[in-house]
Amino acid sequence: MSSIRRRLLAFLLAALLAASAAGGVFTYRKAHEEVDALFDYQLQQMAQSLRYQSFLGAQAIDDPDTDFVTQVWDANGVLMYLSRPRLSLPRLQAEGFQTVAAEDGRWRVYTLADPAQVIQVAQPMSLRTRMAGEIALRIAAPFLVAVPLLGLFIWIVVGRGMAPLTAIARSLVARNAASLAPLPDRNLPAEVRPLVCALNDLFTRLERALKLQREFLGDAAHALRTPLTAVQLQLQLLERAKDDTQRGEALARLQGGVERSVHLVQQLLSVARLEPQALERRFAPVQIEPLLREIVSEHAALAQDRGVDLGVNRSEPLAVQGDEASLREMVGNLVDNAIRYTPAGGTVNVGVRADAQCAAIEVEDTGPGIPPEERERVFDRFYRRPQTGEPGSGLGLSIVRRIAELHGASVSLEGGADGRGLRAIVRLPLRDEHAARA
Amino acid sequence: MRLLLVEDDPMIGESVRLGLRQDGFAVDWVQDGKAAETALAAQPYDLALLDLGLPGKSGLDLLAAMRRAGNGVPVLILTARDGVADRVRGLDGGADDYLVKPFDLNELAARVRALLRRRGGRAEPVIRHGALTLDPVSHEASRAGRSQRLSQREFALLEALLARPGAVLSRAALEERLYGWGEEVESNSVEVHIHNLRRKLGADVIRNVRGVGYMVPKNLP
Repeated sequence: MSSIRRRLLAFLLAALLAASAAGGVFTYRKAHEEVDALFDYQLQQMAQSLRYQSFLGAQAIDDPDTDFVTQVWDANGVLMYLSRPRLSLPRLQAEGFQTVAAEDGRWRVYTLADPAQVIQVAQPMSLRTRMAGEIALRIAAPFLVAVPLLGLFIWIVVGRGMAPLTAIARSLVARNAASLAPLPDRNLPAEVRPLVCALNDLFTRLERALKLQREFLGDAAHALRTPLTAVQLQLQLLERAKDDTQRGEALARLQGGVERSVHLVQQLLSVARLEPQALERRFAPVQIEPLLREIVSEHAALAQDRGVDLGVNRSEPLAVQGDEASLREMVGNLVDNAIRYTPAGGTVNVGVRADAQCAAIEVEDTGPGIPPEERERVFDRFYRRPQTGEPGSGLGLSIVRRIAELHGASVSLEGGADGRGLRAIVRLPLRDEHAARA
Repeated sequence: MRLLLVEDDPMIGESVRLGLRQDGFAVDWVQDGKAAETALAAQPYDLALLDLGLPGKSGLDLLAAMRRAGNGVPVLILTARDGVADRVRGLDGGADDYLVKPFDLNELAARVRALLRRRGGRAEPVIRHGALTLDPVSHEASRAGRSQRLSQREFALLEALLARPGAVLSRAALEERLYGWGEEVESNSVEVHIHNLRRKLGADVIRNVRGVGYMVPKNLP
């Protein structure tokens, strides 16, 4: 698992160590330079001070603790003095400072020559390196001690900084599955606020979608109750029937009840199925004229049973972009309603005409009509007009409107031609080729 | 017993009316609140069955208006709303009982009988008068150990007369108890049913008060 805290700690500590190391190297170099300058000066001064010294009879020191090795030659090149006889350094010709490698390490040598003698003072380089290293270490040491402390400090500070995130995570874990209440967005750091706002926005949308679904489910269950009550009662009447006549009547009633329940279930399913994305994927050009003729033929039997004259009265070859099955259901619902609410002897006309970039599909009947103040309400889900005498689900027109909306169409109700009856008009946008021609 | 059924759904309304009629009740059926008010004003009912989800005027509004007007007829609510809050509102609104759809016809009839019994001040399910008993469930009447099954109409007639022994009910009043709207009243039917009742239970069970109507004697041996 990647942890921001652990990663930050690792990065920061690595950076700190790298900086300390670079600092250490730099300090070491600088210290070496300083030590070099200082010891070189010392070598030079020592050689100078030996210049006027007599070495006749001088004892060799030969003390391993003494770093300096002094050699003196006379003008003839005879070694007059060697401070540590067991150590032999070569005699150098050039004057001044030089670094030479001997059998026991590198030496810094200063050679001072005058007409009388040659004085050569040497010192091992290891001394300088050790001193420079000690200085560098003394300066870098506090940093090395500070690293673990700093690490601890970083760990705590980053943890504190992450606290709002941890708190959000905890409150998300703690809440129950059904809770979509927004997270508190007060006193949040600027980095965390967008996350919380986005989460809250998501919660709000989810809540709304869930609420709609719950409402629909509740409405649907409620709507199913009525036809199921009827079926139960009809079944009991059938059980109670005493003779064939009563039994026949009861069976016919029960059949009606079952048909009605089936119809309602179908309508509920089609409401649930009318999801925008799913529908739009099926969009294709649809020819209106043949569609209307098919719908009219499908409803011809019902119209005949009801004594209603059903027909197509006006038609133009028009095409729209849409889902044919849904459009068929939409117009079918309108035609079905028109037939059911028109008394025997009445007429239902279905037609389509071009009207301002639209295909206007009209279903007109000679039934009792709907008063203007109710023409909007009838589109509400489960709304049923009083005293219609027809057992309906209250879903038909809401399905019509939903399908129309998904097609970018409008649907409206008007009075019939001579003030009687009802005319339902669906205005579907024409396909582009028609629009271009118009 | 004459009941008013207020139910907007044609299938449920028809089935309830048929079922209750088979149980010996006269049922008048209306489909909205306004028609219910008209019916209640025009005629006394023994009980009202009220759907809450009525178009136009809601069942609860209708109930409130009835109770305000001092109409004390027992009300049994029939509704698809089964929330506790709905039930409480219905009962507190003046209803006497509550039945949630979908319901059973037999349970409906039983609850109707229970409400009528309670209204009549009886605790016993069987109606008893002297040596005569009448069972509203089985429609059986018995007198002096002899049990007789009564037809729907006979039962309804005897039940109406037994509601207040000693009180005279006119032929028209009895017809009203027997027939709901739309049912054809056969002429002489009241006389025919009374004749049958006397044959089954003894001639003295129903007395004819000439020119006025019929009664069950207050002291029936």
